[in-house]
Amino acid sequence: MKDGAHGLVAQLARFAGALRAREVRVGLGDEVDAATALTLVDLLDRDEVHRALRIAFKVPREAWDLFDRLFEEYWDGNAAPRREAVRQALPRDHRGPAQWRWDGERVRLVVPERAGDRAGDVPGYSPEPLLRRKSFERCSPEEIAELERLLARLEVRLAVRRTRRLVPTHARGVVDLRRSFRHALASDGDFLKLARRRRAIEEPSLVVLYDTSGSMDAYTRMLLGFAFALRRIIARVEIFAFNTSLVRVTRMVSPAQVARSLERISAAVPDWSGGTRIGGCLEDFNTAFLGTLVNRHTTVLVFSDGLDHGDARVLARAMRALRERAGRILWLNPLLGDPRYKPEAEGMRVALQFVDHFGPAHDLESLERLLRVVG
Amino acid sequence: MNEEIRFVQAEMERCGYIAEPAIATAVFLAREMRRPLLVEGAAGVGKTEIAKVLARMLGTELVRLQCYEGLDTHTALYEWNYQRQLLRLKIAEREGHDPGRLEELIFGREYLLERPLLRAIARREGPAVLLVDEVDRADEGFEAFLLEVLSDFQITIPELGTIRAEHVPFVLLTSNRSREISDALRRRCLYLFVEHPTLEKEIRILENKVPGVSDKLARAVARFVQRLRTRELRKLPGVAETIDWTQALLRLHRNALDAETVHATLGCLLKDEHDLKAASNETVTELLAYAAAGD
Repeated sequence: MKDGAHGLVAQLARFAGALRAREVRVGLGDEVDAATALTLVDLLDRDEVHRALRIAFKVPREAWDLFDRLFEEYWDGNAAPRREAVRQALPRDHRGPAQWRWDGERVRLVVPERAGDRAGDVPGYSPEPLLRRKSFERCSPEEIAELERLLARLEVRLAVRRTRRLVPTHARGVVDLRRSFRHALASDGDFLKLARRRRAIEEPSLVVLYDTSGSMDAYTRMLLGFAFALRRIIARVEIFAFNTSLVRVTRMVSPAQVARSLERISAAVPDWSGGTRIGGCLEDFNTAFLGTLVNRHTTVLVFSDGLDHGDARVLARAMRALRERAGRILWLNPLLGDPRYKPEAEGMRVALQFVDHFGPAHDLESLERLLRVVG
Repeated sequence: MNEEIRFVQAEMERCGYIAEPAIATAVFLAREMRRPLLVEGAAGVGKTEIAKVLARMLGTELVRLQCYEGLDTHTALYEWNYQRQLLRLKIAEREGHDPGRLEELIFGREYLLERPLLRAIARREGPAVLLVDEVDRADEGFEAFLLEVLSDFQITIPELGTIRAEHVPFVLLTSNRSREISDALRRRCLYLFVEHPTLEKEIRILENKVPGVSDKLARAVARFVQRLRTRELRKLPGVAETIDWTQALLRLHRNALDAETVHATLGCLLKDEHDLKAASNETVTELLAYAAAGD
């Protein structure tokens, strides 16, 4: 009998460990809750045990499928935990760093480190107006470097939006009686000055999800530069790269070294310049980060051509989940720079209904226009 | 199934809530383990309703704290009635009261405005049901404060002292998931996720909530809505919308669904301009065919 109870607790601990290994946040307190719950329910009723554990472990909806699978594994089959399964779930294809090359037609990953040798640098001549409207796809490496400098100087300002939360202020605002009273104590109960409160300034955050598939190569670099520019004004910017899988690249990039950053990223992102699985990657993002990184003050920026090789239903599901959480979703598609382009690819069509703003991102001017939307 | 859980389920149904086993289990566990219950799920699946039914079931008071952005402790907990205190002081000045006694007077319970949290804790007649509705709308800082109240069930008012709960209230928190609830708060609670109901459950809810609806209409409406939820919509209709729609149909004296009526009343179900526009004639025809196939 004693053995049986002990076995149950040990089994519970193993199960909790398996949940943790798959990034479902389960603490010791939850294990205690689960153990308590098990003493309260009918242990012979499989479904009831299943429900009780899900309630006591506080399993969020996104992790239910995973929970069900593990439950089967640990409670039905009573299988021993398999560590290998965790590793296999995260395939990583480490290839050597890719490089940007100018092949006479297109820019592909990695240009010279330093662009100090600006060709045709005639005093008084500014290539800026021309460059602004030149599609990234047709730019030479030198032009790309110049564009990057322009991006770094981009005048970015955000519109100030106020929350409904009230904070103390010396300026105008509503009277704060509680604090006024406290101040009045200092002057024998006379209200010499009324304390006031006003609405706090809202802190926006930004999540950038960008497509590194083959069809997006020429734009990736510029878009990253753009994301850096935004980072100067928005405190919380998170950057993710995706193609067949999703990689969080926020910590791999630094504005000072765009080229170096790109190399680092391309080493970490498997299948750089391969096919895309947009829906699946967005779903991965939702499972792992939606809760912590996205709230109603968040703008989500997706840079992608919408050429999805996955199931459109998955994409729709992921977009809906994102839509429910995020303040705004902006989808940038460089193909829009071509006037003949129509969003007819299935993935793009499905995604469009969940998007607040759909715009081009093929030249600097379009990115600058975007700033007005982000701000 | 555990007898007691079955009992909870039956009781909830008696009070007008069709609870599936998961909901009954969660309510039972929360009560037995004396833990708050965090309920999440899409809008309109009946999260708030659980608290109302619980209060009815336990024959007690429902104390509701509606959260919103900017909600602060004064609105949630207590506030001194400053205006009244001020008036009292003015009167006292004229009468020449003893200042010591006066202070005691104006910081008494009758000058205290009880807000929901204090109300739930200070209730003498027995445990209340405390509903903290849409906790995701409040600021994150408020959660930390809530956490403190929910773990100690006592509130300290400097001028009055500490008020301890005589009866620990049954606490229910709901969230629409507009942001993630902090881990600390989630850990304090038991967790229930409510999904859209199954077809059979939705039919039973309609029969329960809309008096006078025929079996045939309830089934057709439920099938229609269930099918509609599988579509790519921005906002999926919840049970609340289904009930609204059925009531609207009854008002119009319709006992069956037809294309014209559906188009005229679709606003009860779809509350998003984009979704409404997407509901073309073909879509409605297809949904109607599916709804009718259940006969």
